[in-house]
Amino acid sequence: MPYAVKEMASNLWRNRLMTLAAVLTVAVSLSLVGAALLLNQGVSRAVGKWRGGVELIVYMTPAGQPYPAATPAQIRAVRDQLSRDPEVKSFRYVGPAQSYREAKQYFSSQPDLLKVLKPDDLPTSFRIVLRHADQAAALGRRFEHQPGVYRVLYNRQAVDAMLRVTDVMQIVIAALAVVLLLSALVLILNAIRVAIFARRREVAVMKLVGATNWFIRVPFMLEGLVQGLVGALVAAGAVFGMGHLVSYLIAHFQANLFRYALVTGHQVALTVAAVIVLGAVIGTGASALGVRRFLEV
Amino acid sequence: MIELQNVTKTYNHGAVIALRNCSVSIAKGEFVFLVGPTGSGKSTLLRLVLREELPDQGTIWVAGKNVCQLSRWKVPYLRRNIGCVFQDFRLLPTKTVFENVAFALEVIGRPRHVIAAQVPQILDLVGLARRRDALPHQLSGGEQQRVAIARAFVNRPLILLADEPTGNLDPDTSEDITRLLDRINRTGTTVVMATHNASIVDRMRRRVVALDQGRIMRDEARGVYGHV
Ligand SMILES: Nc1ncnc2c1ncn2[C@@H]1O[C@H](COP(=O)(O)OP(=O)(O)OP(=O)(O)O)[C@@H](O)[C@H]1O
Ligand SMILES: [Mg+2]
Repeated sequence: MPYAVKEMASNLWRNRLMTLAAVLTVAVSLSLVGAALLLNQGVSRAVGKWRGGVELIVYMTPAGQPYPAATPAQIRAVRDQLSRDPEVKSFRYVGPAQSYREAKQYFSSQPDLLKVLKPDDLPTSFRIVLRHADQAAALGRRFEHQPGVYRVLYNRQAVDAMLRVTDVMQIVIAALAVVLLLSALVLILNAIRVAIFARRREVAVMKLVGATNWFIRVPFMLEGLVQGLVGALVAAGAVFGMGHLVSYLIAHFQANLFRYALVTGHQVALTVAAVIVLGAVIGTGASALGVRRFLEV
Repeated sequence: MIELQNVTKTYNHGAVIALRNCSVSIAKGEFVFLVGPTGSGKSTLLRLVLREELPDQGTIWVAGKNVCQLSRWKVPYLRRNIGCVFQDFRLLPTKTVFENVAFALEVIGRPRHVIAAQVPQILDLVGLARRRDALPHQLSGGEQQRVAIARAFVNRPLILLADEPTGNLDPDTSEDITRLLDRINRTGTTVVMATHNASIVDRMRRRVVALDQGRIMRDEARGVYGHV
């Protein structure tokens, strides 16, 4: 319908400042929505890995500590206890060689530290997966004072703390996004009303000569749709950029715990699609509200 | 063509009674003057026919349709059968004469070749063929009203409603405009014209419906303006 497109373009141009404001608000709010979605996906992926993984680590005393290093007998005792305990689903012993390999990877950005690090300085450890995650503390306490045990680490607490942080982040981002989406809605609605007001003479004549309501509405609704979509495209670019930035940061800073939080390209694509659909919905919804009161027969 | 049966219309929740129990029947091809003092309900009656308003009581038939029961989406199609002109012309100031008239066809989805054929024809009829590229503010009041009539008539409606079309015009121009409406009426279009112009009504000797305080006081086949 060339008439509708022509009208829409001229409306957008007439109110270009207001259009810009609406588009930018949509862009910012949808970027936040996208960020929240990415964070959510990343976290649920990571939690899966973290939770399904090791929950308890029992470190054996390494050499070079003020108290004696764990003897092979002490290590064997821990191993025996673990294999007898019904709460333990599985466990794995990480010996000196592998500990050293892990440490090398972990401290790869600090070569000075690596130079002084010897495999025997590193504690060997048992990585334990439990049948019930909430038994971690009970089990851990039993090992804490056992001879030869250096330290017990509860992965779960770290995970829970992380989850609390990300939960709060998600809520804050989502709340901001909702507020901004509402303002985007109001801005688009207002832009539509201004456009209708600027066209009130035309609209009056159209009603008089029997133009259908849809014919009158469509240019204004297209205007809202375009504002929503353009804002969404900007936000989609931002989401895409965020996905790449996060993977770059994780790679760059060797943030291994966060490695699992990496979202896949597929998830980024889905998020981009969601953002665009949301933009279209917001734009059309706002303009539908905008035209409703003014264009009744 | 137009029939009002016991129509009552009030405003402000019954505080203002614009029409009281009015019944009037207008046949196809008639020319009817609607007269009466200010506030007597003439414009209200025209708005009811156009279904810009709904009556409180009574039934209104227009072009074979009961407009009170017409679903909302059908209203535009009813209006395509009704042309409308007003005292204040209501032209679009940024559009030329041609564009103003073409607009009425464009927005009801008429194809371009139909517009190209019908608009010059109607401009010829109203005597504005040579001013087709002028803007409304470059025209006299009489010329502007001719454009408005062209716009109202270009889709060949069955009914033409005119609410004080000569209200802003000098006597000679008013005469011209009325003659134009008369010519349109002779093509078979039903014309209803609300007016305060006594000399025109008296000269034309057409059907006169006189309203006073919302009541139909007089309905004469070849009437005069009178002194209601
Ligand atoms: N939208 C409205 N809201 C409230 N009252 C209205 C409205 N329209 C008309 N009226 C009232 O209804 C009555 C009839 O008005 P109407 O406009 O039909 O009169 P009229 O005969 O056209 O008058 P005029 O010759 O001055 O144009 C008047 O008392 C007017 O004040
Ligand atoms: Mg009036």
